[in-house]
This record gives sequence, structure tokens and C-alpha cells, in this order.
Amino acid sequence: MLDLLLVEVWRSLLALRRYPLELLGAVVTLSLIFYLLFLGARFLAGPGVEFGGRLEAVLVGYLLWTFTLSAYNGLSFGLMEETQTGTLEQVFLTPYGPVRLYLVRDLAGLFTQGLLVFLIALVLMALTGARLAFTPQVLLPFLAVLLGGYGLGFAVGSLALLYKRIGQLLGLSQFLLLFLLQAPGEGLFRLLPLAPGAALARRMLAEGAPLDPAPLFLSFLNGLVYLGAGLFLFRRAVRLAKGRGLLHGY
Amino acid sequence: MEPALLEAQGLRKRFGALEAVRGVSLALRPGEVLAFLGKNGAGKTTTVKMLSGLLLPDAGEVRLLGQDPFRDPWALRHLGAVLEGNRNTYWRLTALENLVYFGVARGLRLAAARKRALALLEEYGLWDKAHTEVRHLSRGMQQKLALLQALVHDPEVLLLDEPTLGLDVDTSLQMQDKIRALAKGGKAILLTTHQLEVAEALAHQVAIIHRGEVVLEESKEALLARFAGEHYVLELEAPPPPGVLAQLRALGVEGEGPFLVRGDGEALWRVLEALKPLPLKKVAKAEADLLEVFLKVVGRA
Repeated sequence: MLDLLLVEVWRSLLALRRYPLELLGAVVTLSLIFYLLFLGARFLAGPGVEFGGRLEAVLVGYLLWTFTLSAYNGLSFGLMEETQTGTLEQVFLTPYGPVRLYLVRDLAGLFTQGLLVFLIALVLMALTGARLAFTPQVLLPFLAVLLGGYGLGFAVGSLALLYKRIGQLLGLSQFLLLFLLQAPGEGLFRLLPLAPGAALARRMLAEGAPLDPAPLFLSFLNGLVYLGAGLFLFRRAVRLAKGRGLLHGY
Repeated sequence: MEPALLEAQGLRKRFGALEAVRGVSLALRPGEVLAFLGKNGAGKTTTVKMLSGLLLPDAGEVRLLGQDPFRDPWALRHLGAVLEGNRNTYWRLTALENLVYFGVARGLRLAAARKRALALLEEYGLWDKAHTEVRHLSRGMQQKLALLQALVHDPEVLLLDEPTLGLDVDTSLQMQDKIRALAKGGKAILLTTHQLEVAEALAHQVAIIHRGEVVLEESKEALLARFAGEHYVLELEAPPPPGVLAQLRALGVEGEGPFLVRGDGEALWRVLEALKPLPLKKVAKAEADLLEVFLKVVGRA
């Protein structure tokens, strides 16, 4: 399994080295979206208003959204691309089985996604003048959020496997992610995917709250439950796709 | 007879109203090439997909070295496939990178995959293209690489769906040599192709599928001999005089030269008596080819 992880990391690094413009395009687009939102908000609020410390929190929230987004839609885009180019069936011939292989791919993707988010952070800090200085402990709720993001990714990946063309759905569900990341981490909202981890991270960043173990535990529990549910659905979708002969293309 | 490495029993698959495969049973033995022939839509690819664990059969079972690939994916470690209509490799990776990647994805350790990839590239004459992205390779090289991708983990069973399709004569002959050598080395190979001359050149066994059913399975030699029947081809140095020709016709000889003598050895001797003392150029037992057999079987079925 370690060799599989290494070879997947190597494959994603090769893609980065060979096609750097794709990464650059993503950095420019995602940075531009935030910057335009930032300028728009400043314009609406008027010239005298300063974001102050909240700018950092908003920026970190945006970066978390970017990270979660790529965790969420990476699998689906990968499946759609491989169906179109005709390598999906060869991938499914792996003796590791598709579920384990795609889990390893997700893990390997963390590195390139991390690099993407890091570059966006650098660009946005330069553009907005924000300085990101946060406690490394905030990475823990981030991780919990990512687990849930991968879980949702496997769930929507099941649809990609069965129905192939789900680009529109992926586009629309970005806003759902935005809602989940901004939802309060209390009451029934705690049952929503991503929400408890995102709320905990927000409290730590915006209010300087210390890392509270109980909400952190809940965040991880939430992330793991959604990851498990996503894997369950994906496993069912693989079986369904194999039953209906849906692996070969459109 | 050696035990089968890949065995399928009673495979059935239905897509809506269409019953694509109806009770197909096959066995692949080491060192054997089984040509799996059929018209478009006969159920070949559906069967290949079931054999490779990519399509769940509605009924029946597949055993790969005794293991069920649908329950135990690790059984796929023993199988390599070139799938028709697929790219089979990543076009944005080089030939070497593809082989290393697929080697590891098929269960090899990283170092072993690299070693094996380099050895295969050298053996199959792709060494100088090792660092070329697949999209820049010629069609023949891409197809060769697809075969190497199936071979990288050294599986015992190979499923080759149209491995020589679209290749020029030279490359096709090279591929055929390689497939022959692989069988000689002990691999069990299922070859699906519409190029019947390729099938005839490579196959030890022939199975013909028609409307989802295997309507014939037999060794190539026995099959061709059976379809050739007890017929003889006869050629003379010069055209026979009209009187002799009339005698030949009376004996049921067909053709204008070469002549076809239908019947057993006794019938041939009667014809030879009639021809005496005209000089003969050739007397040989008639041979059938796979194309003729295929058309007869599929036409009759």
C-alpha cells in the first residue's frame, strides 16, 4: 500500500511538473474570485470600514473552502476524465480494488491540494495585506473538515461513476459547501457534514478561542461518519456500475 | 491436460431486453491461445469484461487460478488485459512512467515495477521511447505499450481484445510474434479479434460466439481438418483434353484447374486413373481457413 501511495504522489507531482499552467490557472482563478469578493465587500461597506482581524478569519475560511472543495470534487473530476479518456477500466483492474485505490489517490492529492492552497494564500496575503498567523492547532479541526469533505467526495463520486456527466451538479454544490462551512456548530447543525469542524476552526481563528477537546472529538466523529458513509455509497456504486456495465464510457 | 488458469462457467448477462451472453463457458490453459471469435454484438466484449471482473455476470462464475475476482480482487494480480476501445495507458505520462505506475497499481513494489518496466521496454524495442509521452507515440507503439501495460506484473492470464487492430503489417506481425512467444512461455491467452488471419496464425483453440452463445469450441487443427473434409486439390501441368475433362466431370470433379475432388482416397484414385498418363503438377489435401469456417458456422447458427 505504501508503494501505491508513493506512486500516486509521484504521478500527481509529474502532472504538476509537466503541466504547471493548470496549477497556475487554478491559483489565479481562485485568488481572483476572493479578491473580487473582497473588493466588492469593501465597496459596499464604504471607504472608512476596515476588516481588521476579521479579514484573516475570512481569508482562512476561504482557504478552507478551497481545500474542502478540491477534496470534494477531485474524485468526481478524476472519474469523469478517466471515463472520457478511456483509462477507467484499467484502473479498475487493480487488485487493490477501486475503493482502496481512490482512497490512496485522495491521500496523495492532499499534497498537491495543499500546495494549491498555500500558493493562493501567498497571493491573497500580498493582494489584501492580510497576515496569516494562526496556531498550528487549528489544523486539527481542518483535518476533521477534510475527512468529511472526502466523504462527500466519495458520495458525489458515486454519482459520477453511475451518471458520468455531473459537472453542473458539482458546480452548484460548491455553494452547499459554502453553507456547510459557515453553518453554526451548535444544535442540529452539528449533525451536518463539515459544520462542527468548520465552526470550531472559525471560533479559534476569529475569537482566538483555545482548542476545545470535546468539539474537536465531535468534529472528527462527524468527519469519520461522513467518510464512512461516502465510502459505503461508493462501494455500492462500484457494484452497481459493474452490474450495469457502466465502466466503459459514456 | 493441464488445469485451466481461467475458467468461466455458464456466464449470462442481460442488458434490458437484450440477452447479450447466454451460458458461456470457457477454459484457458497455460501455453494456449484461445481465439474467441464472433460478429459485432455477438457477446465477445461482454464476455471479456466478465472474465476480467469489470462486469458482474447475472449468472455463472469466473475462476482465476481458482479465485473469484468479484469476491477477491487480489485474484486480478494474475490477469492482464488490453481492452479494445480504451486507451489502456495515460497519454500524459511517458512510456516508462505508465509501466511503473501500472506495475505498482497491479501489486508490484516500486523498485520491482521500475526494473520490470525497463526490461520490457528494452525487450519490445521501445527503449528509445521510454521518456516520450504516450500521446506523442505512433499508434503501433501505443498498442505495443498497451500490451506491456498488461504484462508489467507478469500475469499468468492475458485477455487481448483486438491487440493488432489498426496496426500496419510490420507492427502487426511483430505483435503476433510476441503473442506467440508469450504463449510459448506458458501464458494463457484469450485473443478476441475480427482479423481472422491473425487468429488463425496464433490460435491453438478456437471458440465462436454467436448471439451470446458459444456455438463451437475446438482445437484449431481439428476444426480446420473437419471443415476441409475428405477433399483434394489437383493441378495438371497442362489443361486436359476434352475427352478427359468429360471423364473428370462424370466423376464429379469441380473447377477449371486447379480441380477439386470431393470424396475420400478411393475417389481420388479413380480420378488419377482417368488422368493417366497426363503430367501432374500437384495433388494435395484441401485445406479450410478460419474465415471459411467462421462464415459457415455463423451462417449456419
